[in-house]
Amino acid sequence: MRDDLPWQLVLVFAPLSLLSIGGGQSVIADLNKQAVDVHGWMSQADFVSLFAISRASPGPGSLLSTLVGWQIDGWVGAVVASMAYFVPSSLIAFAVSRVWTRYRGRAWQGALEEGLAPLATGLILAGAFTVLVSSSGTLSLWLIVAVCTATFILRPKLNPLPVLLAAGLAQVAVGALS
Amino acid sequence: MTKTESKPLVRLLEILVLFARIGVTSFGGGLSAWIYREVVDRRRWLTEDEFLAGLTLAQILPGPNVINISIYIGQRLRGPVGSAIAALALLLPPMIVAVLLLALFQSYGDLAWLQNLLQGIAAAAIGLTFSVGFRAARHASKTNRWALAILALIFIPIGLLRWPLVPVVLCVAPLAVLAARKGKTG
Repeated sequence: MRDDLPWQLVLVFAPLSLLSIGGGQSVIADLNKQAVDVHGWMSQADFVSLFAISRASPGPGSLLSTLVGWQIDGWVGAVVASMAYFVPSSLIAFAVSRVWTRYRGRAWQGALEEGLAPLATGLILAGAFTVLVSSSGTLSLWLIVAVCTATFILRPKLNPLPVLLAAGLAQVAVGALS
Repeated sequence: MTKTESKPLVRLLEILVLFARIGVTSFGGGLSAWIYREVVDRRRWLTEDEFLAGLTLAQILPGPNVINISIYIGQRLRGPVGSAIAALALLLPPMIVAVLLLALFQSYGDLAWLQNLLQGIAAAAIGLTFSVGFRAARHASKTNRWALAILALIFIPIGLLRWPLVPVVLCVAPLAVLAARKGKTG
């Protein structure tokens, strides 16, 4: 059973990689079901804390796949799950980027790029909005969002890191006072 | 492969350092916004339209959007090697941080103040993303008079009504391209 654990990880993560259309969030529910209900690799509480840690870490939220692998089978699990999850979709992205670059400068591509710019902008705003309404949404958090939005619009070249840290500390202070 | 001759070739080391830095410092999510600021605003490696087209492709294709956009940028700047370096530099350092955090969490349990810290950081990161969206919208509405209408056609179904992303994008994309041709200003 333990010997074929890495292989089982590949069988779970590789299909999810190809199904994660529209971003990693779309397969979290399925990963949850597979890891907890189907394979019994961990409890639901374990999965929830792995999810929280993937949000707390820097980098993409899809690092959840690495953490799930690590929880199941240590370093081997982390490496196998990460590769199975990141490599298949990355190969597709690379192939598409390559084709896109090959036809660079063609009139149709300029027209597509101009057309897609407002569409991508809508996606950026919709994504941020979705995260905002699904967060716990206390008054202080909305205030932080508003202040930071204004700050970054006015100062586009400002290093975000100190602002993020200040926002985190402000929320800690609010938590301590209430 | 055609290159823009006026721009010097971006060095692989620069790609490595930038994406590794974004990977380990981008707390709170919204990495596309971080990458946009560095690659378009600060370094001007790609134009706004080039980046946003890549971002649309990244969102439609399977896989994490940020990894896909990194692969696209790396490919655009330095071909296959650029792609591999951008994606690995973005992924590997935070992967190690995440595993270390998990080990820490499992030895010390959860702490209320840490929860608050992370919520505050995530809220600020949402602000960062909104600011990038706002600036991109301002830019698009200057070059195309239909830009805000297209933006609304994406934002309302996906952001407000929670419709699935891919079918909405596939329906709006032809309209968007048409609108860009008809609505060009100046």
